[in-house]
Amino acid sequence: MSLHDERLPGVEIHDLDPEAFYEQVHSFEFWFESVEGYLSGLSWGHREQTVEQEMSDEEREQLVGVLCNYCVGETAALETSSGLIAIAPNRASKVFLATQVADEGRHLEVFLHRLGDLGVGEAEVERRASPSLLRFKKRLLELVDSRDWEAAIFGQNVILESLEFAVFRNHSRDADPVTAEVLEGVIKDERRHIGFGENELGRCLASAPQTRARLGQVRKELDHYVLDTLEETARHLGFPRDEQDEVGRLYRESVGRLGIA
Amino acid sequence: MMADTPQPAPDGTDDGERQRFVLGDTGFDEVPKKYRRFYRKWEGPGDVLAPNEVLCPVCKVVIRSTRELRPGDRVYCMPCMSRLVVMRTDAGTLEARVAY
Repeated sequence: MSLHDERLPGVEIHDLDPEAFYEQVHSFEFWFESVEGYLSGLSWGHREQTVEQEMSDEEREQLVGVLCNYCVGETAALETSSGLIAIAPNRASKVFLATQVADEGRHLEVFLHRLGDLGVGEAEVERRASPSLLRFKKRLLELVDSRDWEAAIFGQNVILESLEFAVFRNHSRDADPVTAEVLEGVIKDERRHIGFGENELGRCLASAPQTRARLGQVRKELDHYVLDTLEETARHLGFPRDEQDEVGRLYRESVGRLGIA
Repeated sequence: MMADTPQPAPDGTDDGERQRFVLGDTGFDEVPKKYRRFYRKWEGPGDVLAPNEVLCPVCKVVIRSTRELRPGDRVYCMPCMSRLVVMRTDAGTLEARVAY
């Protein structure tokens, strides 16, 4: 199918052949042109002119606690996505994961920089982070070490990324202006990561439905780490009950579409 | 955000009575420039979708087409790299389902 619609000017993206679409969105070229749109001109993930808002000691402590968890989550995603490149089943997935590694490295860097703004150094991160999240990270890396592609993609790009996506979205609505801008850039990257995970696993499950039961076991094992972390983060951020439910719902919807009970 | 401009369907096309749209800039910046007009930010539950729009269930971005959408149409969500099929819900609204 031609990219050019003769009846109206320009490209009609929805007429693309599925293979052409798949090739395009898994390319470094696509990644570069996408991130250029929302990251150029930013410094450490936000506009330089954005003014720092005054915070009480309590608000600052809460934000530091949350950012420490974000740093652990991003470190887990950085180490997992880089480890997954070696066991990815095809070139398109390897290239996509290489772009994800760059994204996760940037996320870790901007969150650490934000912690630095608040007077907290990198050495504090693990000490302040949620024990459940640290256990989740350890287990995720074990899945990569065991070369279990489906389980590791499920743990990282579906469970971890959908939780991060939902938490960042809700946090960005009420965050101070600098943190909100940092989060907005990260959320835009996360759309690609959750989409990759869901679509990759969806294709795997369509050709090997028996994998669903195994992933159900992985979910059972990892779910409580994720939900404990969510509860702790929601407490730090002061999410009302309905917002906490919304965050949980986004995660359950994603797992539900894949039919992983 | 610039509103889309409906256009009459050209004669002799198999789109029949489908309304056509010239897509305007929405300020969406998450995909390469030439594709940005096909997407816009979703403003939440009060956001009303036009006949050429559908919500991506994966990443919650509004997907737009130059044609009025109908059940069975294929659309792509470039921000999350998903292929979707348009369906009609029991409530009569259009929604997109992921096609793996």
